[in-house]
Amino acid sequence: MSTGAAPRACILHAAVLLLSAVGIAYQIALMRVFTIGQWHHFASMIISMAMLGFGVSGALLAIVRPWLRGREAAVLRWMAVGLSVGIVACYVLSQQIPFETLQLVALEGQWANLLALYVLLSIPFFCVSTCIVAAFMLAHDAIGKVYFFNMLGSGLGAPAAITLLHVAHPSLLPYILAPVAGIAFWLLSWERPRGKWVGALVFLALALFCWQGPRQPIRISEYKGLSYALHFPDAKILARQEGPLSVITAVSSKQIRETPGQISNYPMSELGELPEQVGLFFDAGAVSPVNRFDGNLDSVAYLDYVTGAVAYRVAPPNPAVAILGSGGGSDVLGALAHGARNVTAIEVDPGVFKLVRSELGDFSGHVYDRADVQPVLAEARGHLQSHDTRFDLIALPVQGSFMASTAGVNAMSESYLYTVEALSLYLSRLTANGVLAMTCWIDSPPRAGLKLFATAVEAAEHAGIQEPQRHLACIRSWNTATVLVTKSPLAPAQVEAIRTFARDRWFDLCYLPGLAEAESNRYILLDEPYYFRFAQHVLSSNREEAYSGTPFYVRPATDDRPHFARFVKWGQLPRVMREFGTAWLPYTELGYLALVAALVQSVLVSLVLIVVPLVTLTRRAQRGPVRRRTLACCAALGFAYLFLELAFIQRFQLFLANPVYAVTVVLTAFLTFSGAGSLWAHQRRLTARNQIAAASLAIAACAGVYLAVLDWAFAACAAWPASLKFAASITLLAPLAFAMGIPFPTVMQFLSDRHEPLLPWAWGINGCASVVGALLASLIAVHAGFRWTVAAAIILYSLAALAFWRLEPSK
Amino acid sequence: MLTFFSQRFEKCKAALILPTIAVLLAIPAYSDDEEDSAKERERMVSEDIARSEWWGERQAVKDEAVLKAMRTVPRHRFVPERQVDRAYGDYPLPIGYGQTISQPYIVAFMTELLKPQADGIALEIGTGSGYQAAILAQVVKKVYTIEIVKPLADSAAKRLSELGYANIETKHGDGYYGWPEHGPFDAIIVTAAASHIPPPLIEQLKPGGRMVIPVGSPFGSQYLFLIEKAKDGTVTQRNVLPVRFVPLTRSEEKEPAAKVKSEP
Repeated sequence: MSTGAAPRACILHAAVLLLSAVGIAYQIALMRVFTIGQWHHFASMIISMAMLGFGVSGALLAIVRPWLRGREAAVLRWMAVGLSVGIVACYVLSQQIPFETLQLVALEGQWANLLALYVLLSIPFFCVSTCIVAAFMLAHDAIGKVYFFNMLGSGLGAPAAITLLHVAHPSLLPYILAPVAGIAFWLLSWERPRGKWVGALVFLALALFCWQGPRQPIRISEYKGLSYALHFPDAKILARQEGPLSVITAVSSKQIRETPGQISNYPMSELGELPEQVGLFFDAGAVSPVNRFDGNLDSVAYLDYVTGAVAYRVAPPNPAVAILGSGGGSDVLGALAHGARNVTAIEVDPGVFKLVRSELGDFSGHVYDRADVQPVLAEARGHLQSHDTRFDLIALPVQGSFMASTAGVNAMSESYLYTVEALSLYLSRLTANGVLAMTCWIDSPPRAGLKLFATAVEAAEHAGIQEPQRHLACIRSWNTATVLVTKSPLAPAQVEAIRTFARDRWFDLCYLPGLAEAESNRYILLDEPYYFRFAQHVLSSNREEAYSGTPFYVRPATDDRPHFARFVKWGQLPRVMREFGTAWLPYTELGYLALVAALVQSVLVSLVLIVVPLVTLTRRAQRGPVRRRTLACCAALGFAYLFLELAFIQRFQLFLANPVYAVTVVLTAFLTFSGAGSLWAHQRRLTARNQIAAASLAIAACAGVYLAVLDWAFAACAAWPASLKFAASITLLAPLAFAMGIPFPTVMQFLSDRHEPLLPWAWGINGCASVVGALLASLIAVHAGFRWTVAAAIILYSLAALAFWRLEPSK
Repeated sequence: MLTFFSQRFEKCKAALILPTIAVLLAIPAYSDDEEDSAKERERMVSEDIARSEWWGERQAVKDEAVLKAMRTVPRHRFVPERQVDRAYGDYPLPIGYGQTISQPYIVAFMTELLKPQADGIALEIGTGSGYQAAILAQVVKKVYTIEIVKPLADSAAKRLSELGYANIETKHGDGYYGWPEHGPFDAIIVTAAASHIPPPLIEQLKPGGRMVIPVGSPFGSQYLFLIEKAKDGTVTQRNVLPVRFVPLTRSEEKEPAAKVKSEP
């Protein structure tokens, strides 16, 4: 490899900015690719893979440090080429690996596949990281500045990726990003003899290949709904709608017969067959049907035979209805068929309305263009929060797919739609005789239905309902449960109407005022009347016993711990296995198990990455305490940064009402302002130890204030338009992010000045800690909640300051 | 010309001799195969079907008629040629068109759940290879079976006819609507997962009849449901077994990805 002189500072900074932007954009692209190919819990694994690349790079550079001296510029250049090629190559190769999340428990080979994915997908991030460390080494007296451009690039890369996702399928992003990395190589070669031309050639070759070359589609898991549907002999893809929230595929087949629950007693010979349907598959997974509709509401008579229809037996006649998550429009038709005078159909994904109103407009009978239907493009909770309209019926239809729900792939995902605070809000938007109706997929052994009922009880209390037992009802089919909460106590006639509805459709009563145990568990037979007994228990004075006595985590989700689909209770696993057997376990808590598995893997890999260079460095003249304190300081900083980043991404989903926007805004704010912080750190206005101590104090103060005021601020600003919310979020996060940007470059500058051989190693430690931190943060958030995750980060920043205090001897 | 005839003769000779040798070799081999397969079936029944697993999560199948049927039907004749060696293993095998032949335990377990009567009429949805229909044909009077994939329906009908099953009637069509012309049925068995229990099948179930159906996501979490229709027409449903069909890879040429895991 040829050596070379350092490029000019402006070129170096521009290249670092571009490479960092590509790195973060690639990360977001991969998150979307694997959300489509597998499920969205893979997103946290992608963060881990990125950080693994960073860790390996740091470790390797620490080992080859003597060789590297004088070759930094060449390494930087060639790693930029490596990145531009690797972005496409690693994506293409990753799609050849027959990885299946759901087979992890069944097939040993899948662990090897997962490991292969980890290694493969960490390569581009290895290249990015090596470029940045090489840039640090080249600009060893101005690390803060390089770090600033690194952070700024990352901060710009995130919104750039989201913008691209509006117009391009996620599988195209690697092909768009590769030439951008090629530009960085071109810049870095600019000052070399013939470098301009070589750089131009490389860039043009890359651009040409990416523009005209073959495209690798995403390999979609065989377990996902779209894969299954495409097996139908007459399956045809009618349309596809891309967007940052999801890729929606519209598939037609006579075999698509999706009902929002069981319709066992639907008299088909009398009322007619189900209407023809087109399935809208979201990210190749959950399906929402679009019914063929010609304006004749009799054609959707089947919608009176699902559990959710019980709400219309209780709601006032000709109700004003709000559907939270209207999807393909089945529930809208259901409302119209039950005489709703108007329906507010709230849907968060713009692609749904686009498809149903345009390509499927005639097929769907232009259901969203009717005078009595108001389509609202918004996140449901945010919309209700910001509007004071009252409804006679607010319906939350089943969300996602039955399979994803029962397989537990959503166990680690936040949902602010099903928290106590959310349900309480819905209740406040009901008319005096209004009804809140929530339907969820249920599972075996029973969990989700129990949790929904418990959440409804606590929400009713939260909303000031005095005797919730008189306001509640719950029925179930084999795969859905519907819980009703009424604003006024249920009248005897309403109770009787529910009874009759359930009996006629062979649904089981789980809770009704005055229900006897003998009346429950009649049609869909369980070993015991679990639902009835749990409901009685939750409504008694022994609620805590009901929660602790259930082998699953069925305590209601709250805004602090918004993981409705989390059911694992570690302490209860032996009992669960004794009572229900082991068969269900791997298949029901998959998201959780996958995260734990990734955590174990990342801890092992990280240990290797830290231990190996440590052994190498021992041979050199680094004193023990310096190594230990560097390790403690950099690891604590890595953990702490990720804890705060992920905690705020989770929290801002509530405010920005959309996970993709939350990721974008929080990443942009954190990275950009952390970059500004590092620029400030570069000016060395204080001593290094004072700089870190001051930053840690500022972080603790900011985070403390947020913990105190965030809920209030979110509620106060809920009605703001999205653009204003984005600006407010970034402004709000700026001081915290600025302070968070100070410690790490300060440590790196200190090491560069005093213990230069430790520089790449420290970078690697920080990367490894971030790998583990990203996963650990998810686990802490699930078990302890947002507040404790933030508190843990504050403690870690304090520990880092302490370690550094002892690392830098006072003068 | 002579050369031409001589060459033709040599070819004809080869064409005649080779099959003759093959047939001669095949006769003892075939009988050996039959003997071997009978042994395999015996092992399959005693080890995989009629015995509870040691951790007690899998019930043994006890119905003598069902066990006899499992011992009788030559499963290896229902699997693709390249899978013959694996025909008696306790896992499903690919039969093409994204379909599988279910693992023997599940076939036996589902058949037992139906409590088949010798004079009963059964409907099967999802003929596949025809194996389940053949098992049913041993324990009931008449079996009607429907398959949506035409090539599978055709090949199953041919296979069942070749094997001499006169009491099985096969149809190509959409099983969702059942076969009302021959209903109501004493037993209905569905061998492909459905997202909901099709109402027409419930309608075509005779009072006192039983239906076994895997419901849930066709790929992924499924529950085996036993539907019972009382004499008064009331229907009860019982989740008897969580089953999980690990799907095959898309390419039918590939090896089966995994086996069905099933525990009550």
